[in-house]
Amino acid sequence: MAFLEINGLKKRFGQVEILKGIDVELEKGGFLVLVGPSGCGKSTLLNTIAGLETITSGEIRVEGRAINDLHPSKRDIAMVFQSYALYPNMTVAGNISFGMEMRGVPAAERQQAIDKVAKVLQIGHLLQRKPSQLSGGQRQRVAMGRALVRDPKLFLFDEPLSNLDAKLRVDMRIEIKRLHATTGTTIVYVTHDQIEAMTLATKIAVMRDGEVQQFGTPAEIYNNPTNLFVADFMGSPAMNLIPATIGTNGNALSVVLQREAREPISLPMANAPAGLSAFQGKPIIFGVRPEALTDPEGAERNASNIATADCFIEVVEPAGSDTFAVTNLGGKGVVARLRADANIQPGTNTPLAFNLTKAVFFDPATENRIL
Amino acid sequence: MSTVATSQIKLTPEHARPRASVRSRLQDALPKIVLAPSFAITIIFVYGFILWTIYLSFTNSKTFPSYVITGSRAYRRLWGWTFDTDPPSSWYTSITNMGIFGFLYIFICLALGLFLAILLDQKIRGEGVLRPIYLYPMALSFIVTGVAWKWFLDPGLGLEQTLHQWGWTSFHFDWIKNKDFVIYTVVIAGVWQASGFIMAMFLAGLRGIDGEIMKAAQIDGATTFQLYRRIVIPLLRPIFLSAFIVLAHLAIKSYDLVVALTSGGPGGSAWLPSNFMYEYTFKRNEMAVGSASAVIMLMTIVAIIVPYLYSELREKPR
Amino acid sequence: MSAITTLARQPSGGVNARIVNRIVIYGLLALFALFYLMPLFVMLVTSFKTMDEIQNGNMLALPQAPTFEPWIKAWSEVCSGLTCVGMKGYFWNSIKMVVPAVIISTLLGALNGYVLTKWRFRGATLVFGLMLFACFIPFQSVLLPMATVLGSFGRFGVKLQNATGFTFGFGNPTVNLVFVHVVYGIGFTTLFFRNYYETFPNELVKAAQIDGASFFQIFRRIMLPNSLPIIVVTVIYQFTNIWNDFLFASAYAGSGDVMPMTVALNNVVNTSTGVVEYNVNMAAAMIAALPTLLVYVLAGRYFVRGLMAGAVKG
Repeated sequence: MAFLEINGLKKRFGQVEILKGIDVELEKGGFLVLVGPSGCGKSTLLNTIAGLETITSGEIRVEGRAINDLHPSKRDIAMVFQSYALYPNMTVAGNISFGMEMRGVPAAERQQAIDKVAKVLQIGHLLQRKPSQLSGGQRQRVAMGRALVRDPKLFLFDEPLSNLDAKLRVDMRIEIKRLHATTGTTIVYVTHDQIEAMTLATKIAVMRDGEVQQFGTPAEIYNNPTNLFVADFMGSPAMNLIPATIGTNGNALSVVLQREAREPISLPMANAPAGLSAFQGKPIIFGVRPEALTDPEGAERNASNIATADCFIEVVEPAGSDTFAVTNLGGKGVVARLRADANIQPGTNTPLAFNLTKAVFFDPATENRIL
Repeated sequence: MSTVATSQIKLTPEHARPRASVRSRLQDALPKIVLAPSFAITIIFVYGFILWTIYLSFTNSKTFPSYVITGSRAYRRLWGWTFDTDPPSSWYTSITNMGIFGFLYIFICLALGLFLAILLDQKIRGEGVLRPIYLYPMALSFIVTGVAWKWFLDPGLGLEQTLHQWGWTSFHFDWIKNKDFVIYTVVIAGVWQASGFIMAMFLAGLRGIDGEIMKAAQIDGATTFQLYRRIVIPLLRPIFLSAFIVLAHLAIKSYDLVVALTSGGPGGSAWLPSNFMYEYTFKRNEMAVGSASAVIMLMTIVAIIVPYLYSELREKPR
Repeated sequence: MSAITTLARQPSGGVNARIVNRIVIYGLLALFALFYLMPLFVMLVTSFKTMDEIQNGNMLALPQAPTFEPWIKAWSEVCSGLTCVGMKGYFWNSIKMVVPAVIISTLLGALNGYVLTKWRFRGATLVFGLMLFACFIPFQSVLLPMATVLGSFGRFGVKLQNATGFTFGFGNPTVNLVFVHVVYGIGFTTLFFRNYYETFPNELVKAAQIDGASFFQIFRRIMLPNSLPIIVVTVIYQFTNIWNDFLFASAYAGSGDVMPMTVALNNVVNTSTGVVEYNVNMAAAMIAALPTLLVYVLAGRYFVRGLMAGAVKG
């Protein structure tokens, strides 16, 4: 039995179904990230776990006990909000201890708890300040302090980093990860940023239009996306999704990619997925991540299935740590990721190595993965 | 964004939860319980009373309310009086006065308010002193305004007398005692009171205009006049609308000003429909006619306000 | 915030044109300042003059021998109709009416705004729309039924008096006016608080819910402490409106020693027995105007904000 179980959760608002039957579970001490574009229902899902929004049907269980009828304050949860939601009229100490005050915890005990949390988060010197006197990062810490002090069963984070600037966001991300590692709490975390999802999660639920598209570990989601949406949404730069057709090359299948004003590329597949044979002569979507498309010298040595083809390089983007090259295949811009010092010039034909062991295929009609 | 809701979950049979306690259900209903008295008050004392007034207007109520429906006699009388011009009926005087007063009051307030706002927006030294001077009359009651202007416009004591003393003996200004012109003195006092506020509204609008638009227009070679006529004034359209609503609303309610400034004017020549209603209801014992005139006032306001409120609330449905 | 600076900066026309331009602008502004100040100035100087000086002197002249006599007379002796006890009693009548009416209507408005924004329910917009429209009705359309209802309150009060020895405020004209002003004021106060709380982050309410605060605890501990600006605006707006009201006052407390200030002032000015003492009348008018003028001078910024908020709906 998992620590947190969500079964068949539906939420309707008037005629609109916002959540269309969510099934997710999380082990104790796990870190679940709900990720998806805005409007996918991820924040609504988090709010239903918190009890801030009602659900239409289904249930939410923590340690086997259904909590969907409980008032938010009775669910033993803590929540960190996007805007931090610090009470502007109270000091930092007041903010942190407000919940305890509401539960009637004696003042001395509250003070102890405040001091303990302040020490963990290093906000001791801020305790008597008002939120308006704090910087963004400090507010973020106080908001986490308010959550930590409750010592809840479940932490809920609603896009906690999206109001911070880029550098601070990275720092706080590491901080949250460290906090999770040291305290061993169970966390549900909402974000639209797939990098946050990849770096923080033990489990990711990719959501779209009120449905979970894929639920799994970050590696599963990244390497084995179940459909086009997940493949496209996760990863930066995004996976190249190239319209192609399946041809034959002797006994083996091959992927045929159209090029502008030249004969198509044909990539022989040594270990094509079983389902692909049904698509002979038919269009498919060929997915290959930029790091699986590189200069032949930089290609993974021990990959079993590497095919090389000449590509016309349209644009080169040196990004410091890597160099990205853009070519055109199947009518789309395709990004290859090369070593920083790769010798590549725009406007030339350059051989690129396709790591086909990492390639994935999708049915353009259903948008589902071909396995 | 999202709503905050406490009311709990619809039950599915297999997960039937224990019945919510009375206390927790009370908690869920609390917001509505808190709002209920105010809402009930509004429904009864605004909408109920309006219906009551409408009902009275169809009875033969005189000194005391009567609840026997006698048909639209009161409205027929008002309708008949509407064309009673020789001598003019009080109703005819009231509605023509409303037309004159309403038009001039709204038009002059808008024009003057905009004019002053534009002048004040020219980086004026002492704006902080001038603005409150223009605006303070809005803090006074119509009664005080009326008393002040009654004195100021009195031919024997006020402006006329003063100018005579200064040697301009041919100056003659007795509108406040003249039945044909007394309504214009109400316009003067009304404009004096409200135009500063309209100025403040326009000034706030001007300050809210994006400076980059102005810079772009200047780079495009617009003269100051063109800048205002083509760019600024069109951008102030929402303010015009709000100001119009405020003024129309004030104009229809201006009862006190007429009373305090003119005591109704010679022979009731300064009456507005609001004065007509009060006089007929409480002094002339024609309650049904008074009610009918109140209904007509209400309908006029409804025709102006309801479309406005509807669009305002609909634009921001949440 | 952008001032439009172009009048002063047109390339056409030289320095002279610019100076003329500025002179014209300042001249016009000064002229209008005179227009707005004149009546107040005349009222003020007249209230410090003797009757002799008024009849023989110039309206605009400063008092030759300033005297407080008219003010003292207005406060404690002036006749309203046939009773000559000065304005002081009516001044306190107004205070006794205004203070409770402002407090009650503001508190109700705050609660309503809180419910309408933070505890939305189906039909909340309709409820708000109905309450908002109530701000705009000409009060003539409710004047008569209210008079009838207040009359029956009075009869009920008499019954209570007979039964228990107390009227519990039923039939008391001041209580009646408080009631009327609360009833027809909650539309505005609800509007103010609703618009203010609309921009108040919902997340704060959610956080407080998770912290275990109840409906009223959230209101008292989170909403109210952060509402000072709108409370000031609402109190000032209500104070000014209720203090300045004449229609309800004259309809429901229009005679005797229960009159509020505005009605009393109108009676004083229109009392035609004996010599009209203009200086006393003006002093009485100034006394009636002082509280709202004072509020305006002390908190003009909030005063204007209230007017604006009342004007720009939705």
